[in-house]
Amino acid sequence: MAEGFNTEDMLDMYLFENGQLLEQLQETVLEQKDADCFDEDSINEIFRTMHTIKGSSGIMMFDNITAVSHKLEDVFYFLRESHPDNVPHLELVDHVLEVEDFISSEMEKIRNGEAVDGDASRIIADLDKFLTKIKSGVDAGGAQAPPENVHEEPKQFYIAPVASSASRFYKIYITFLPETEMANVRAYKIVYALKEIAEDLLYSPEDILSDEKISEVILQEGFRVLLQAQSTEEEIRDLIGTGYYIKAVDVFECKAEEFLQGFDFGEAGAQIDLESSVEEIDARTQAGEAVETVEVKKAEQKKIAPGDFVIQSKEPGKQKKLAKDKPKGGKESFISVNISKMDQLMELIGELVISESVVLQSPDLKVPGLYLDNFNKAAAQLSKISTDLQNVIMSMRMVPLTNTFQKMNRIVFDVSRKLGKDIEFEMIGENTEVDKNIIEHISDPLMHIVRNAVDHGIETNEERAESGKPNKGKVTLSARTEAGKVWISVEDNGKGLDRAKILAKAKKQGLLEDGKPEDAYSDKEVYQFITLPGFSTNEQVTEYSGRGVGMDVVVQNLQAVGGALEIESKLGFGSTMSMKIPLTLAIIDGIVMETGTSSFVMETGVIKQFIRVKEEMMIHEPNGDEYIMIRGECYPVIRLGKWYGLTEYRESVEDGVMLILEVDDKRICLLVDRLIGEQEIVVKPIPSYIKKVKGLSGCTQLGDGSIALILDAGGLVE
Amino acid sequence: MEETSELMRQADSRSDSNEQDSQNGKYMTFKSGNEYFGLEIQYVSEIIQFQTITAIPETEDYIKGLINLRGKVIPVVDVRLRFKQDPFEYNDRTCIIVINVKSMIVGLIVEKIAEVVEIREENILPPPTIGRDKVAHNKYVYGIGKVGDSVKLLLDPDKLLNDEDLSIVEKANEMNIDED
Repeated sequence: MAEGFNTEDMLDMYLFENGQLLEQLQETVLEQKDADCFDEDSINEIFRTMHTIKGSSGIMMFDNITAVSHKLEDVFYFLRESHPDNVPHLELVDHVLEVEDFISSEMEKIRNGEAVDGDASRIIADLDKFLTKIKSGVDAGGAQAPPENVHEEPKQFYIAPVASSASRFYKIYITFLPETEMANVRAYKIVYALKEIAEDLLYSPEDILSDEKISEVILQEGFRVLLQAQSTEEEIRDLIGTGYYIKAVDVFECKAEEFLQGFDFGEAGAQIDLESSVEEIDARTQAGEAVETVEVKKAEQKKIAPGDFVIQSKEPGKQKKLAKDKPKGGKESFISVNISKMDQLMELIGELVISESVVLQSPDLKVPGLYLDNFNKAAAQLSKISTDLQNVIMSMRMVPLTNTFQKMNRIVFDVSRKLGKDIEFEMIGENTEVDKNIIEHISDPLMHIVRNAVDHGIETNEERAESGKPNKGKVTLSARTEAGKVWISVEDNGKGLDRAKILAKAKKQGLLEDGKPEDAYSDKEVYQFITLPGFSTNEQVTEYSGRGVGMDVVVQNLQAVGGALEIESKLGFGSTMSMKIPLTLAIIDGIVMETGTSSFVMETGVIKQFIRVKEEMMIHEPNGDEYIMIRGECYPVIRLGKWYGLTEYRESVEDGVMLILEVDDKRICLLVDRLIGEQEIVVKPIPSYIKKVKGLSGCTQLGDGSIALILDAGGLVE
Repeated sequence: MEETSELMRQADSRSDSNEQDSQNGKYMTFKSGNEYFGLEIQYVSEIIQFQTITAIPETEDYIKGLINLRGKVIPVVDVRLRFKQDPFEYNDRTCIIVINVKSMIVGLIVEKIAEVVEIREENILPPPTIGRDKVAHNKYVYGIGKVGDSVKLLLDPDKLLNDEDLSIVEKANEMNIDED
């Protein structure tokens, strides 16, 4: 490989792209793990993914990754070509996941700057065995075995021309999207892929690796390849692949004479006339293969007009449109941004909002006799934009839990397979958005809880049969926001926690308080014992859990982000572990209200009703407690103004608004002065300098830049 | 207002320059009650005009509440109340000194900002251990700086913010929570 090439960038790109590919791969595989076999699309996708990884790893000279991905590619090549019916699907899933794990772990090593030394020989041998197995299955079934996958590792850098009557000649013209980085490496990837089938290969520009500036040339003029091979056009297209950076690939078959002329083919209009050919190719992929060759030939005949060379750069607008039209398979695309830049942006937007309100409320505008219609219109537009802007920035930090949940899916699958348990996994509310920082903190605890549920919670198949439970165990992972917290629960329908066993163990370890009878402990208190360090009722230590380190670490991790763990369980019916995490910076829907001169916000979800009440509905106790009868039900009343000792609040209940709040089946009434409206609010923590106030869970910035306190219904109820 | 903005510029240029040398020995002084106090300039990040404060219930009286500093929520402390002096009325000339102590950002409401002065080390005396009514101040006043004929009480911002009595109470609270 050429010296002086920026390998660091290449490596970053390699890791980033392949990481994404692998994630995507895992998702596809897990989506279909319960099906009987992979569908056509997934087989193609896995094949392509492996192919891409093989190609890029080959360039980076990570031989073991190349070898493994090549093997798996072979397997899927076979699947794709001959559609065998009797593939043991789970075994295949295992193999794919194993390869994925191997590559991920190797990539981790690369990331940490360690040597890539993982031994792939066992996986390769397994895959070989698997491949032979499914192949023999096909043979026995009488179906025709497809030709061997002809891809072979290139033995030499340049393959000399081999004259062969079966050889075909192609001109290949590849254009990249204008924003593609390091187009030269992309081009090299293609060359590298094509070498596998090439009998002869020429490409232009030639010096693609040693000269970094060549990227520009490739981007502007496209990348041209002359190829002599025995493959069909389709095969070539597959090899080149359709990465998102490739705008268009044109493959034209040509005669040997043309081929020998090399790149001086001014007459080959179709190759240069990008505009029409790209369109035709787009149309062709949709129209199907039948018409394909005819169309290309037509195009070739039609377009033989010299002087078409320049079209490409003259119509950039058209090209852009074409590029956009290219479907991206519905996948969202992402860029990674430095968090500090996001923070900076957020600060600036805050400043913008404040200066906006300064302008709009400027005393100069209050001069009588001013005609402000146009100003007001413009101002309204400005406010709208800045509000939208603010919302977007705030939401940028929020990440859905989908990825984290997907990982759990994988864990359940792995562990249950190894333990021979039949377990169904369900995810609910994986789209719940949580601040990125929090996701990082909960990933490990969640993994532990899920493992526990599968390992200890769910019984073995035999035990389940004995106790007359349905055969399949079930683990449900759910997320929701409630009362200003994110709740992530792992629920299993396994054996549940054994109160007596836990108590006995606690007694043995001397954790029980002296003189407190055992039945004085509530279930919740008992279950909390398992979160203490060194406490595990499981006698056996398994590979996955049971070492007694674990639940205490989970609780510690949660406490680090101000969260807590709640355990509910019913012996014989399963348990539910709920992580309760505060929503710092999370966005919630809130109702803004005022009492006295202060603004408060309360999460919409806990408010059941707004109601105006009459003085005669109130019940006053001598000790100052107040209750209210609403439609025959009695609720305790909190007057927000009195509760916080505010000034200038409305004394009479008839002037204010009652909110009926419901938290954990408890209902109370809260009296506030007036409601302002509903809006999406971003929860910010109250600075740590101020000690915790009961009933306040954070603060938020309202549209006009002022600060409102967020009421924590849970705290008020207590 | 001009004098304030002049001071702001002074403070800004100081904190921007990032050169410890040029900041050494410089103090931002302000008036509270009858005394002048000094804060080492390296702690001062900016001076802002008085803005609306969102009060927080159930806190010490000297913690006036929260303000929005360009999207960042920071608590503000009334220095006069902190020094157990009589409260004073805020007006639009009242300023808030934003200080940054151990990455904790807090605003100090002060009666009147005086000037930035340079006090050499030899002009700083330890606070008198026996004073008339200064006993209450001594924990956050770590020295007395002489500038010409006048005297500035030099403040330890860390101690100014963290009330020792308070932190004991807090610790006790935390322990109670743990036991729950």
